[in-house]
Amino acid sequence: MRAAATQPIAATAARPLVGGPSLTRTALVLGSGGGLLLVVMVLAVAFGSHPVDPADTLAILGRRLLGLPLAEHWSASDETIVLAVRLPRVLTAMLVGGGLAISGAVFQALLRNPLADPYIIGTAAGASLGAVAGIVAPLLLPALLVGAGSTWLGLGLVQLLAFGGGLGAVLLVYAVARTNGRVPVVTLLLTGYAVSAILAAVVALLMVLSGSALGAVFAWLMGSLARAGWSGLAFAAPLLLVSFLLLLIRWRTLNVLLLGDAQAATLGVDVEREKLRLTMLATLATSTVVAISGTIGFVGLVIPHLLRLAIGPDHRLLLPGSLLFGAALLALADLGARLVGGLPVGIVTALIGAPFFLYLLHRSRLSGVGAIG
Amino acid sequence: MVPRARIRLLSLLVPLLLAACGVQPVATPIASSSATLAPTSTPGPRPAFPLTLTDDAGRQVTFSAPPSRIVSLAPSNTEIVCALDRCEDLVGVTDYDDYPAQVADVDKVVAFAQVDVEKVVAAEPDIVLAAGNELTPTSVIDQLAGLGLQVLVLYPASLEEIYADIELVGDALGTAPRADELVASMVARVEAVTARVAGLDAPRTFYEVSVFEGVIYTAGAESFLASLIELAGGDPITGDALTTSIQLEDLVAADPQLILLGDAAYDASVTPASVADRPGWGGMQAVIDARVVPMLEDLVITRPGPRIVDGLEALARAVHPGALD
Repeated sequence: MRAAATQPIAATAARPLVGGPSLTRTALVLGSGGGLLLVVMVLAVAFGSHPVDPADTLAILGRRLLGLPLAEHWSASDETIVLAVRLPRVLTAMLVGGGLAISGAVFQALLRNPLADPYIIGTAAGASLGAVAGIVAPLLLPALLVGAGSTWLGLGLVQLLAFGGGLGAVLLVYAVARTNGRVPVVTLLLTGYAVSAILAAVVALLMVLSGSALGAVFAWLMGSLARAGWSGLAFAAPLLLVSFLLLLIRWRTLNVLLLGDAQAATLGVDVEREKLRLTMLATLATSTVVAISGTIGFVGLVIPHLLRLAIGPDHRLLLPGSLLFGAALLALADLGARLVGGLPVGIVTALIGAPFFLYLLHRSRLSGVGAIG
Repeated sequence: MVPRARIRLLSLLVPLLLAACGVQPVATPIASSSATLAPTSTPGPRPAFPLTLTDDAGRQVTFSAPPSRIVSLAPSNTEIVCALDRCEDLVGVTDYDDYPAQVADVDKVVAFAQVDVEKVVAAEPDIVLAAGNELTPTSVIDQLAGLGLQVLVLYPASLEEIYADIELVGDALGTAPRADELVASMVARVEAVTARVAGLDAPRTFYEVSVFEGVIYTAGAESFLASLIELAGGDPITGDALTTSIQLEDLVAADPQLILLGDAAYDASVTPASVADRPGWGGMQAVIDARVVPMLEDLVITRPGPRIVDGLEALARAVHPGALD
C-alpha cells in the first residue's frame, strides 16, 4: 500500500499554475461551501435529541447573541440546551471538520499520496499516547490527581498532552527521517508508520494498565464531540485560524510540490525548508483539533479528495474549499449522530461518507476524470 | 494509526465495566431450588448431596459432596462466599477483589479481566463461581467445564435475584441455613428502608456512573441501579437501556433535582464544583440547590453482592437526608 507513495496525485497540477481558478469558479466553490455551512449550522443547532421549538431556538439565539428585544417565553432548560450544549458543539464540529480537511489536503500534496490523511505521519499515535497518558498517569501516580482536575488555557491535562503528543510525534518522525539534510517522501511515510507502531504499542500497554479508566481511554480514542464547550473553542479557533492562513499563503508551493521535489527545486522552491514548514503547520492544525475532539477519522481523507475531483488540484481554492466543506460535513454527521442517540461521530462519517465517496470515485473513473493518482 | 483491532477488542470490555450500572442479563436467571423463598417463608429441608443445581445461565451442575476449595471469578461472588462464612475456603479470586480485606491474600486467577485458566486448574477447586453476561466469557466457562471443573454461573440483575443467588451458593456449599439467615436480614433491612421513604416526595434523581469525553453514563432504563434508586425513594432519570448513556440535552431537559456522583468514589477530580463548571450543567435544579452529592459508596451500590443493602441505605440517605435516622 505504502509503495505507491510517490505516485503523483495529479499530473495536471501544472495547469492552474498558468491560469489559476476563474473568478466564477472561485465564487461557485466558496459560495456553495459557505451556503452549505450556514444551512447545516442552522439545522444542527435547531435539532437534537431533545425537541426545542425551532422558533424558540431562533428567538434564543437572536436574544442572547444579537441582543434583539424578544420576549422570553422559553424555558431555562431550552436556553441552556441551545446556547450551552448545542451551539458550542456545532461550532466545535465545524472547527474540527475544517481543520482535519485542510490538514488532509496539505498532507496529500506534501506526500503526493492519495492515502494520506491528517494523522498519517504520527499525529494520531502521538496525540493518543499523550491523551491516554494523561488519563492513566493520575491513577498510577496518585500525586498527580491534583493535576488531573486543573486546567490551563481552558484545557485539561489530557487535552494538553494530546496536543503536545501530536506535535512531538511528528517532530520526532521528521528528525528520524532526515538523512543528509533531506527528507524523502517515502522515508517520511515509512518512518511515520514505524514510529506510530511503537507509540501505539505503548498506548495498548497503558490501556492494559488503565483498569477502571479503560472506558475513558476508549472514549477518547473513538473521538467525540460530546465534551465540546466554549473553552475548547477559545483554545482551538485562534490556532486553527493562524495555521490555515499560513498554509493558504503557501498555496503556490503546495501546487509546485505536486510535481515532485526535483521539479519544485528547479522552479525555485526551497523544497526541504518548505516541506518542514508545511508539515508542522498541518500538524499544528491536526493536533489542535485532536486535542478537543480525539481522533475522528475519515473527514481529513475524503473531503480533499472529493474537492479535487470536483474542482481540480489548485490549493488556492482547495484549501478554503476543504475548510468549508469539511466543517459542513462533520457538523452534519454530528447532527445525525446526536439524532440516533449519541453515537460517536466517526462511525457516522464513515458509514455515510464512505459509500458516497465510493460512488463519486466510481463515477469519475467512468467519465475518465482521473483526478486521484 | 492507533491499533484499531486492539481497540475493538478492548471495546468489548467497556460494557463489562459498565455492566455494574445494570445491563440486562443475557440469559434469564433460572431460579435455584430455593429462589421462590418469600421473605417470611420458613426454609424447608434441603436436598442432600449429591445435589444438582441450575445456575443463572441455565446450566445444570451436579455436586457429589459439599465443595471445600472455591474459586471466585467476580468480586460479588467472593463477597457472597465470605458472607456465608466460607472465606477461608477460597483458593482463587480476581485482581479486583477488595472485600473483605482477607481476600487480598488469596491467589489471583483473574488479571486485567482475563481468566488465567492454568491458574484456575492449578488451584484444584471443587467449585468455580463464574459471572454471567460475558463478565466471565462463555468460552472460558465452557473451557473450564470441559476440563472437568464444576462451574456455577451467577448473574443477579435485581435484589430478588441476589437473594436467589445467595441461596444457590448456600445450597452448593452446603451452608443453606446461613444463606437463609443472611437473606432474611437483607430483606428486613430493605423493608425498613422502603418503609421510611414511603410517602415522601421522590426527587428527580440522576446517578452519574461516569462521564467519558462528555459521554454521560448513568443507570439504564429498567436497570438494577434504576430500581435501587426507586427503592431509595428517588425518581430515577435513566439513560438508554442498551448503552446506559444519556445525551446532555436530554439530561438538561429532565432537570434533575438531585445528582449523585458515583464516579467521585474513584476520581477525586469529580466534585460538586467541577460538575457546576461543566458546560450546560450549571442551570440544573440540583446544581442551583447545591444537591450534588458524591456517592463514595458507589462500589456497594453497583456490586451485586450481600452489601447491596449497604448501597441501598446509602442511596436512601442521599435521596432523603435524615429519613433513616
